[in-house]
Amino acid sequence: MNLRVFLLCTGLVVTHLLLHVALGLGKAAPDLAIVALLLASRALGSAGGAATGFVLGLLEDAFSVGSFGANVFAMSLTGAVAARTRELFVGDSIRFLAVFLVLGKWGRDLLVWVVSDPAGRVPFNDAALMEGPLLALYAAGAGLLARLLFARGPLSR
Amino acid sequence: MAGRPRGTGEDRKRDFLLTAGVILGSLIVLNLPPGSKRTARLFLRETVLSPLLGINGAITRMRERALDFDVLRAQMDSVTGLVAAARTLAEENRRLREALALKERERHRVRAVTVIRTGTPGAESVFLLDAGSEDGVRAFNAVATEAGLLGQVQEVFSGRAVAFDWSHRDFRASAMTPDGRAHGLVEAVRGGFREQDRLILRGTAYLSDLSPGEELVTSGRGGTFPRGIRIGWITGPAETSAGWSRSYHVDPAVYPGAATHALVYLSRVAEPATVEPDSAASGGQTDPR
Repeated sequence: MNLRVFLLCTGLVVTHLLLHVALGLGKAAPDLAIVALLLASRALGSAGGAATGFVLGLLEDAFSVGSFGANVFAMSLTGAVAARTRELFVGDSIRFLAVFLVLGKWGRDLLVWVVSDPAGRVPFNDAALMEGPLLALYAAGAGLLARLLFARGPLSR
Repeated sequence: MAGRPRGTGEDRKRDFLLTAGVILGSLIVLNLPPGSKRTARLFLRETVLSPLLGINGAITRMRERALDFDVLRAQMDSVTGLVAAARTLAEENRRLREALALKERERHRVRAVTVIRTGTPGAESVFLLDAGSEDGVRAFNAVATEAGLLGQVQEVFSGRAVAFDWSHRDFRASAMTPDGRAHGLVEAVRGGFREQDRLILRGTAYLSDLSPGEELVTSGRGGTFPRGIRIGWITGPAETSAGWSRSYHVDPAVYPGAATHALVYLSRVAEPATVEPDSAASGGQTDPR
């Protein structure tokens, strides 16, 4: 991972924590942690992606009373899978990146839903069909904006 | 699009083993016993996330202080009027209780706290309080705002506590109408979408017909919640159980997302109730009134 990508991903994670934990904006703020994970995974490889997902998932789960570990698992798996995409798709075109971020975020939310405590999770309609795609588009939009503003050029190593 | 060539066989094997190890580790975290999960959450909150929670608490307190002075003045005038009217009432009540040989009503010490909400996934019905075990906060204490019941404390640590609001699946409160005509149990029910979550009063007697707009308060049964905290208002019938009981939908008195300041009902006391101000807001001083 080059310094530019490292700084971009670190900045996204810090901004995510500020928006979600310090300001408590919830879903009004985009999920920049998953954007950082997806971008970093393409540069780090599957083990690095999974480890980064593990750490970010732990931070997300610090306030989860009902399903501690759901984000850890979902982020680790997403990081590992996202890293494998660089063996299938080369290039960092805007179109590819948009689809990559939308599917990554949506897939991660579905994984969290699957492993969360059934008694406490949001209904499937809400999580997967209504909120899921919208939140994925929101995160992808924010990720693309950050990418265009702060990190032009290829992201993969 | 062509794929990128993978590394040597050795590299691929090492990468696979490391990835599998991390995924396995995440599954272990997911299945940790509740006590270990609690310790891990506490560790994360008190180390990496502690400065961010500090900022959140400070912003919440600043938002409270930015409230319109005229609104606060009006609220204080209303409270002053109520207190003045209740003085003679309290004396009358005491005399009547003496005459009827009834024991004193239970009173609770109350601690003012700031409600800290985070916007992370999985924390939708959970909030933090800036008071902990040294302030007398205990698990299962009631948390209420000036409008009514907000939720219940779940985990208590030094300087901080974790609570859930009424929208949590484990929330239950014994309820009654203020005149004691109908009793039941209030709980949250999930709708098809999160916005359809609402409170429901279950287990009221079949013949106790409640009309929309009737107020519900905590009954104090079970000893978890003090008697008389407002829960909400009946909005309409929900279901009936074959001539045995009725259920009603309830419009909650408190919308959890709007709460920034609350009171925790601490242990029962014999002397008149006191309010301890939020220590963070008053520079750590306690001022029992």
